Amino acid sequence: MSLLDETVEVPRRTMTLFFLVDTSGSMDGRKIGAVNESIQEVLPMIREISANNPDAEINVAALQFSTGTSWVYDEPKAADDFIWQDASADGLTCLGEACEELCGKLSKNGFMKSASGSYAPAIILLSDGEPTDDFDSGLSKLEENKWFKHAIKIAIAIGDDADKEKLAQFTGTSEAVFTVHNIDALKKMIRIVVVTSSQVGSQSSAAGESTKQQQVIEQVQDAQKEELSSGGSSSGFGDEDDWD
Amino acid sequence: MELAPNQNVDLVSGDHATVLEELGRGGQGIVYRVDINGKQMALKWYSKPPADADDFYKNLQRNIHYKAPSEAFIWPLDLTVKNNDCFGYVMRLRPDGYSEFGSYLLNKSRFKSFDAMFTAAMKICDGFKYLHRQGYSYQDLNDGNFFINPETGDVLICDNDNVVADGQKSGIRGKARYMAPEVVLGGLPNKYSDRFSLSVVLFMLFFANHPFEGSRVSGCPCMTEDYEKKFYGSEAVFIFDPVNRYNRPVPGKHVNVLRRWPVFPGVLKDVFVQEFSQEKLKDPTKRITESEWEPIIARARDTLVVCPHCGEETFFELDKDIKKCMDCGENIDIPQVLSISGTRDIPLTAGSKIFIDMDTVPEAAVVNDDKGRIWLRNISSEQWRVVTHSGKTKLVNNNEVMPAKEGLDITFRVRGSDYKAVIRNNQ
Repeated sequence: MSLLDETVEVPRRTMTLFFLVDTSGSMDGRKIGAVNESIQEVLPMIREISANNPDAEINVAALQFSTGTSWVYDEPKAADDFIWQDASADGLTCLGEACEELCGKLSKNGFMKSASGSYAPAIILLSDGEPTDDFDSGLSKLEENKWFKHAIKIAIAIGDDADKEKLAQFTGTSEAVFTVHNIDALKKMIRIVVVTSSQVGSQSSAAGESTKQQQVIEQVQDAQKEELSSGGSSSGFGDEDDWD
Repeated sequence: MELAPNQNVDLVSGDHATVLEELGRGGQGIVYRVDINGKQMALKWYSKPPADADDFYKNLQRNIHYKAPSEAFIWPLDLTVKNNDCFGYVMRLRPDGYSEFGSYLLNKSRFKSFDAMFTAAMKICDGFKYLHRQGYSYQDLNDGNFFINPETGDVLICDNDNVVADGQKSGIRGKARYMAPEVVLGGLPNKYSDRFSLSVVLFMLFFANHPFEGSRVSGCPCMTEDYEKKFYGSEAVFIFDPVNRYNRPVPGKHVNVLRRWPVFPGVLKDVFVQEFSQEKLKDPTKRITESEWEPIIARARDTLVVCPHCGEETFFELDKDIKKCMDCGENIDIPQVLSISGTRDIPLTAGSKIFIDMDTVPEAAVVNDDKGRIWLRNISSEQWRVVTHSGKTKLVNNNEVMPAKEGLDITFRVRGSDYKAVIRNNQ
């Protein structure tokens, strides 16, 4: 047997993509339905990015938060093995508790124990309301976490009731908070944010001045402009019936 | 702005491209299959104009005018007329049978032979030699730029839209894992940084692991951008650095390089040790050129033989004390060598190919007869002139054979040049 037949795949780092999904009562109806559908639809794209990337593979973890928090799986799953569990919406918006829960898992003893090391995670927060618990104390703990500090953090604010200020505190900058006003825009935004964060987060960096988070922000902004210039429906703000 | 099937796009040449289907999309744009005068081509379309779009467009125009540095390049051939500030360029379609370099690293594609691997290395060097000779630099050489045929080792070099005149900036920065340290630390890419990236790509082609990712780097739990600047920039250490031994490959993790490094020819390993030394990491002008790489790869290729016991390829270095097949472990005895120009000694085993010059087309095939004696078959289009011990001159034409007998003087003619060689016994 030739030595070439003994070749193995190069060791790859892991990039964990976190979904933090608000499943409080206000998300009930088409909003949670669209989130469920969009995450399911974007998973094959994450799988493809992961499968063809010699720099890193992508793991996926998802935390749903309402009156309490619950992880979809009790460990991050390879993109191939992650199956989204449809969430139903009920209860309060315990984002502070979600921050603490995430903080606990962002450690080598938690979710970040990849044998070949990791790239900093990408964390995508989706919410339509304002936190009902002690968000500030939850976030201040999370802000001390080094994995969190270096993570790509993007928030999608669903509608004008979302507390964009709190979401900006979470992401570290208001530029990383993208607001959507209808179901169609929500679906598109989830796809753009997830795909861009997965691509940028799972690649060796350009070692430039701008951080990976800034690169994601710029690319999502560009995609938004493209959508507007091509007359995409994300430009529509007025259709309140969409939120029924 | 995206294009739709059947949409017509005007080209600068006056032709029109008709969009047939989308072939793929990336960060910069979308690639479509198009029809131009009945011929299928590829069109890379920047759905959003790149930064400095005017300069970018002019640079593409210039590159189209000066034509591809070599056949390996999938080079821009025509440009579209701008449409709402969007534009694209036409190139030939990538033929079937080629796999992206990254898929070799992921072990989804595998070279059929080491012979094909050496051909790929030669072709990559050759491509960048001509690119640099024409005054260009590539800027962001990485694992996504090459497509390689696993059977033949033929190489296609893609993503040539960032190629600029050396010294100019394209605005593209690439990936830290493939960048030269001075670029990781904020410098502008140029032909010297291209050469560093070329060495990284060649190392990964031969050893299927990264030259700077040993225990120290893989032990870093979270590779942040700052750590990338350190491990690929300010504190890069080669995994086989003779002085700094703290970044060695890790057993069970860097499996390929640990298997291959001990058996690969010393001539190749020595050059990687030099190219990735602290001295050359810090002084880009000391890095070797593609023209210097080629004879090194050729000499390493000279040591590639077919094991007489198991029939697999193995490396046979004449100056090594122990000569065992890297596959079956049997001792190999090779009685004859072909000594070319007094500088290269090529061991002769049946099944091997012989490259007289430094291209990727072999001139001779080594065969044996039913008594196990070694012969050379002329597989070139040129005639060989052989002078025997007793002074007779014999001519060996295409597909004819000559015995590998000690003392035979051969004049090979390759692309207009004569190469003097002699068969001698391996002492």
